[in-house]
Formats: sequence, C-alpha cells, structure tokens
Amino acid sequence: MFHWLEKNPFFFTVGVFLVIAYAGIVTILPDFMESARPLKGTKPYTALQIAGRQVYIANGCNTCHSQLIRPFKSETDRYGKYSLSGEYAYDRPFLWGSRRIGPDLHRVGNYRTTDWHENHMLNPAAVVPGSIMPKYGFMFKKDIDFKTAYAEAKTVQKVFDVPYDKPGMPKLGTYDEAKKAAYKDAGKIVANMKNQEIKDAYKNGNIREIVALIAYLNGLK
Amino acid sequence: MQSSNAINYDYTVAKYFTISAIVLGIVGMSVGVLIAFQLAFPELNNMFGEYGTFGRLRPIHTDGVAFGFTVSGIFATWFYVGQRVLKVSMAESKFLMFIGKLQFWLYIIGVAVAVVSLLLGYTTSKEYAEFEWPVDIAIVVVWVLWGISIFGLIGIRREKVLYISVWYYIATFLGVAMLYVFNNMEVPTYFVSGMGNWFHSVSMYAGSNDAMVQWWYGHNAVAFVFTVPIIAMIYYFLPKESGQPVFSYKLSLLSFWGLMFVYLWAGGHHLLYSTVPDWVQTMASIFSIILILPSWGSAINMLLTMKGEWGQLKENPLVKFYVLASTFYMLSTLEGPIQAIKSVNALAHFTDWIPGHVHDGTLGWVGFMIIGGIFHMAPRMYKREIFSKKLVEAQFWLQTTGIVMYFTSMWIAGITQGMMWRATDQYGNLAYSFIDTVEVLHPYWTLRAVGGSFYLIGVFMWAYNIYKTATSSKAIEKEPQYATPMA
Amino acid sequence: MDMELIRNIQGWGYVSMIFIITIGLYAYIYHLYKSQREGVKDYEKYSNMALKDDIDDSLVEAKDPQKDEKDNEER
Repeated sequence: MFHWLEKNPFFFTVGVFLVIAYAGIVTILPDFMESARPLKGTKPYTALQIAGRQVYIANGCNTCHSQLIRPFKSETDRYGKYSLSGEYAYDRPFLWGSRRIGPDLHRVGNYRTTDWHENHMLNPAAVVPGSIMPKYGFMFKKDIDFKTAYAEAKTVQKVFDVPYDKPGMPKLGTYDEAKKAAYKDAGKIVANMKNQEIKDAYKNGNIREIVALIAYLNGLK
Repeated sequence: MQSSNAINYDYTVAKYFTISAIVLGIVGMSVGVLIAFQLAFPELNNMFGEYGTFGRLRPIHTDGVAFGFTVSGIFATWFYVGQRVLKVSMAESKFLMFIGKLQFWLYIIGVAVAVVSLLLGYTTSKEYAEFEWPVDIAIVVVWVLWGISIFGLIGIRREKVLYISVWYYIATFLGVAMLYVFNNMEVPTYFVSGMGNWFHSVSMYAGSNDAMVQWWYGHNAVAFVFTVPIIAMIYYFLPKESGQPVFSYKLSLLSFWGLMFVYLWAGGHHLLYSTVPDWVQTMASIFSIILILPSWGSAINMLLTMKGEWGQLKENPLVKFYVLASTFYMLSTLEGPIQAIKSVNALAHFTDWIPGHVHDGTLGWVGFMIIGGIFHMAPRMYKREIFSKKLVEAQFWLQTTGIVMYFTSMWIAGITQGMMWRATDQYGNLAYSFIDTVEVLHPYWTLRAVGGSFYLIGVFMWAYNIYKTATSSKAIEKEPQYATPMA
Repeated sequence: MDMELIRNIQGWGYVSMIFIITIGLYAYIYHLYKSQREGVKDYEKYSNMALKDDIDDSLVEAKDPQKDEKDNEER
C-alpha cells in the first residue's frame, strides 16, 4: 500500500507537504484573532516614534536588546511589569529579540530619560563603565527619513485598520499635518538635550535620528 | 565504453556553486569572527562608522553562512548527487542546463544586493528573514528555478526509485518555500501611501502573531536549511566515500517521515514564557523532546554504517569529517531538546548558551558535511586528486579544536550569565547589575572568538586545497569508486 | 464561527491527526519489514543507488526497462 509513495515523485511531494504544513495550521491559526487584540489603553506609535523605531531596526538594536519581560521575579525586579500580548498589538514587526547582550528595553521609558540616552548613545562606556555597546555618534549627524515613517503609519492605518485619528488615539492626518506634529514632538525632546548641533539642526527644520530614537525609547513603557 | 557519444555527468553548475560556497563561506565566517571579537573588544565596532557595528553586521554573518555558504553547498551537492543517484546527466537536457546556470547567476545577484542592503540598514529585523521585499522576490525566483531543476531531473531519470537523499532534497525545497513565503508576507509601504522608500515594507503580522510566525519560520529554517539537506548529503557521501551500504535503508525511510512530521511543531520553544498562548509553548516543548527520536534515527544509522569499518577513520580524513559531523548532529539534537524543557529554557533563553548550541550544530555538522562533501566531489569534478592529504588532516584537527573551544566557552558563558541574572542576595534583592553579568563574560567571549578564528583558518586551508586541486594537482585517469584519492 | 466552535474543531483535528499519523507510521514500519521478509521488495538494495552511481553502472531498478535496455546496448 505504500509503494506508490516511494516511486511517484508527485504523490511523494504532496505527502511531504501535507505532513509539514499541518503543524503550522494547528499551532498558528487558532489564536490568530485573539493574539492580535490590543490591550485597553495601548496606543499606536506616533509618526516620530515610528521614525525612531525604524532607526532602531536599521541599526539592529534588536540583535542585542530584547523587548520581552518574562514572568519571573528576577525579571520583573530588573525591568518592570512582565509583558502582555496586547501591548504588542501595533508592533510590526515584533522586536522581542533572541539574545540579551544588553538589557531588556520593553519598559526602558520608565527609568531612563532623554539626557541619559543622549550621553549614553554618544559614548556608552562613559555612562555605564564596562559597557560593550558601540558608539552611535552618527545618529547625531543623520536626519530621519520622515516620509518613510509617515508612509508606514499611513499603510498600517489603511491596510490593517490601526486606529489613527480615532478619539483618544494619536493623530496622523495628512503628510503636512503629521510633519508639523512630529516637529513639535521633536522640539520637546530637543529641549532636554545639550548637543548644540542638534539644536541648530532643529532650528533649521531638521530632525536628527537620535531625536526620533529617543522619542521611541521614551515611549516604551 | 568510452565511445564518442557516451554520456557523462555534467558538473558545470555544481562547480559554480562549489566556488560560491567557498567564497561566501569565507565572507560569512570572517564577518562572524569580526563580530565575535567585537563583543570581547568593543572598540572594533567603530572601525567603519555606522556600517561596522555589531547590529548591522550580525545579519550579514547569519544570512551569509545560512543562505550564502550553506545554501550554495546544498545547491552544489544537489547538482552533483542528484545526477548520480538518478543516473541521468545534466548534459542530456539543454533546458535543465540553462535553468541551472540561470539559477546560479540570479542567486549571485541576489546575494550581492542582499549584502549591500543589509550593510545600508535596510532590514525587516526578523531573524534570517531580514531582507526587504525586492530581495525576497529574487529569492523566491531562485528557489522556483531550483524546483524546476529538481523535478526536471527527476522527470528524465533512469532509476525508478528515488534515493533517500533525493527525498531530503525535495523536502528541503518544499519546506523552505512554504516557510519563507509565509514569514515574509509584508506590505510595501510605498505602494499604499505613495511616498517614502520604495523598498520599505511593513510586516503582515503584528506582535505575538508576528513572533509565532517568525519562530515557526526561524526554527524550521534551521530544520530545512541546516538539517534536512545536510542529512541528504551524509546519506550519499558517507556510504559512497566508505564503500559501505547504509546500515538500514528502512530506518532511513522511517526517520525521514518522523523528522518531517515532528520538526514543524517545535518552533514555539523559542517563545517559552513569552506572550504566545501557553498550550503552544507546552506543545512545542513536548515535540522538541520527541524530536530526539527521528534525529538520532538518522545519526545512529550513519554511525552503524561504519560498523566493522572503523579502521577507515585512521586512513581517510574525509570519513573523519563525516563521522564527527554525525556525532555533532547527535550532540546538538540532544542539546536542543534539553534547552526546550521549560525550566531549562527559563535559564538558557536570551543567553550565550543558545548561540553556543546553534554553533555546535552549524560548525560541527553543517560545516563539516559541506566541507567534506566538496572534498569528495572535487577530484571527480576536476579529474584531479586532492592536492594535499596532510592539509586536510591539519584542517580537520584545527577546526575540531576551534569548535570545542567555541561551544565550551559559550556553554559556560550562557549558564554563568543566566545564573547571575536571577541571583539574589539574602534579602531577596537582585545580586548583580546587568553590566556585572556582561563584564564577567569577557574571557569566554575572547576564547570563543579565537575558536571561531581557528575554524575560519580551516576554511581558508580548505579553499586553498580545493583551488590547488582544481588547477594543479595530479590528474587522475579513472574516476575513483569509493575513497577519494589524495596526494 | 464562535471561539468555542473553533476550539472544538482544533481539538478534534489535533487528536485525530495525531491518531492517524501514528497509525500510518506504524503501518509503514510493518509494511517495510513485511515486504522485506516476504521477499516482495528488498528495500536494502536501494542503498546501492549511492554506491553504484556511475552513469554506466547497472540500474538498481529501471524506470523504463525497455528503453533502458536499448540505451545500454547503444553504449
């Protein structure tokens, strides 16, 4: 009864496919809808935060920093309340990471400030002696790509129904509106920074990568 | 027999992919060694501005060895083994020859674009699926072309039954295709909003769902790139090199179906204690343990193939490569399930024990099989004997030392850091700040980087040996039947 | 479809699939060894596909016996 399997490449291929596909269907599909639900009070990222998140991703911060606090006392003591599924509802992609070469960042906004990040990103070892984190001086010189950040926000709003512009949710609006709002948000961060170059750039209407990144990190709570 | 119209196997495409396996192996592993040293000596991060940081380079290392070195090795061995066990030559079909060459050149273009885009920071951040959508499409095209090659060659075969290696190659093709397509579902933002970077995209899944799909992919990419096709290799190269038939062909068939069914369930063990549903985690944990059976089925089958022939270990360095590879396969397929036990995972997750585990599999099992496989193929493709047996021996011992240094230091580093993260003083407060748990790793990270360097030097020795074999070694008149001739 | 129903389908699907697969696997083992014992099929000979893989070596089992004989005569 099994001989056909060994001789007929077509049936064999179909057989293998069924066997390997089954696990994915059973494990991933059933809870798909439930896992996609946001927690009450969880809000999508502002356009400036998305720009910061893109900087975070482009530089592979997630290769060394996790964003997932596991339900152990040793972790909640160190990083804060353990993570809940609904908190990630607007995370595309998820950034849990797989290796903690540096500490977890899921709630870093609760215990680090703008000026701490400013000093730390410029020279980590000066703030945390012994740190092996690279220096990120170039983020103080490069401008963000706000168009791509806005494009991402607009896309998730259109395609995945992310509730921008809904009552109690962040405003997105048109590109010009969003840009104005992002400039205003960035101003609050820049006001807490010391670097003169950043301030000058801001006055000229430019938002540096570091500003957006800090906006994103401060929002992780 | 040697009439003018006699058919011979045509290794043109196999040779192409042999070269790319060697080149991309050197690239991927050099980057690996560099980032290993960056952990021990962080100043190395600042050599090339934003393009030289650990975060930018790490995907180039992982993707470089997985999709560069390993996939090239898979293609090279397929275009060699496939013809032989189906007893049909690529020369018999102009179409398949064209498809094979097209596949190679598209692959090379794809690799080049992928490396540059990762260096520039264009990444989706999902591990081993970092490429943005244009590269994804190129990869899918290359993969489809490979599928045409596989099934085209099967279509014109002379041998009725498909040898077990062919089973595994087919499974590789199917598995990677399914996983890659579903994990890389993404929406290009430019086409929806009409602005920004045209190659930027956003994942189709969010949060916990994205994590589930990603690790269903991430775990099984390991299955279908680092396990399944490598088993295909060992089922051909070990029997052929040693002249011994597979210990039990029936066992090989059973292990195949077992592996196919069980492997895919285990992806959730990367997400233990995360926010994915509990039942997914528990099931993944259980299936990971069950996975020992089919894995060891293949590995033991290989070791028993050498029954009564262990003397070959002394004479033939290639047999050494294969036997050590299956031993490392047994080690890592035991280690993996142990790490998938929930209470062990609580300690091991997020530590260096995990990359340690990955590397005893990839360096010991994957790397050794591809290196050993190409050593076996080279004299038959280039019609010359291996340039230097001594060099093969030296490479074997250097690389084995490197692997042992690598995984022992990573085991210690991982368990040390895991223990320190959870250690408390007598009042129940955390005993160590995070930076304490980093500084303590410095000696182990140094050892690991040195171990990795040993392995890399071995790869250079391999490259030199193959280069000399292809160009200037002593010619052989008749193809050797079993053991590979070496000078 | 409400959640309850989905859960039910999922549960039954999972259990029955495990059941079917397990029976299938054992049947396959039985089939392999029985065919070997009764001489219906010698599985172990397929190992030779790797060992005798020169293009001129005799086939373990020809896909198309007649065409192949002609092939061999020509060569």
